[in-house]
Amino acid sequence: MKSNVKELDEQTLIAALIDGNEQAFELIVSNYHNLMLAVSRAIVGEAFADEVVQDAWMSAIKALPKFEGRSSLKTWLLHIVSNGAKSRVRRENRMVSLDDGWQSVSSDKFDNTGHRLEELLPWEEATPEALLANEQLQAAIEATYQKLPALQRAALTMYDMEGLSMEDVCNILDISASNARVLLHRARTSLHQCIDTFQDK
Amino acid sequence: MIKCKDVPEQASDYLDGELTFRKRIALRFHLLICHSCRTYVQQIRNTIKTVKVLQPKEKNALDTCPLIKKFRELTKKQD
Repeated sequence: MKSNVKELDEQTLIAALIDGNEQAFELIVSNYHNLMLAVSRAIVGEAFADEVVQDAWMSAIKALPKFEGRSSLKTWLLHIVSNGAKSRVRRENRMVSLDDGWQSVSSDKFDNTGHRLEELLPWEEATPEALLANEQLQAAIEATYQKLPALQRAALTMYDMEGLSMEDVCNILDISASNARVLLHRARTSLHQCIDTFQDK
Repeated sequence: MIKCKDVPEQASDYLDGELTFRKRIALRFHLLICHSCRTYVQQIRNTIKTVKVLQPKEKNALDTCPLIKKFRELTKKQD
């Protein structure tokens, strides 16, 4: 059983965790830690994010026997970290600020009537596979991702990378759907600009 | 009428099926006649797919050794 811990289904995995199987714990930490950190940073900010995630892991381990599998383990963990982070900032007057220095597509690409001045050329390496074959581009995308404001990054990570529903994203980050849509739009636009700059070279 | 300038603002919602009916039709019509904007929307779609495949990581994700140590202590107590 130890060797194929990676192929376990969620129920078996949870049983192994309750049983104190360290391999199982390492597996879920490596699968979800990054994601939890993104959510934590988005809600409490950089300073307390690590601590909140650590506490969330401990709460999760304690609460595992009560996990009923009504959501996926991933969504359940994210709700735990989200609740921990929210209670951490409850005393403060937190507001979702969308004013994060974001720049939309620069207006000098359009004429007075709003039409594009130059024809937009398709990317040469158009498929994700081809784009990712380029190591420098990969590094550039990773750097751009890390520089995104924490809320944008968390929204993008959950919705585009992890396939969570919009409803879960909004609940976990405690934001409205329209705010979440703005965050996604901005994050995607920044990443698009990153890839596009690369194509020019 | 939609202008090229409006397309970046709407592309993301369009791809997620979140534009209102009226806006969606207007955008589709513009895409029919504008090659550049078709390219733009396609690039945004590829951007999303690329990030999904690449799975970029958070900066300095923390050292997990202390976590595993705590896990060990915690599950021992439960036995």
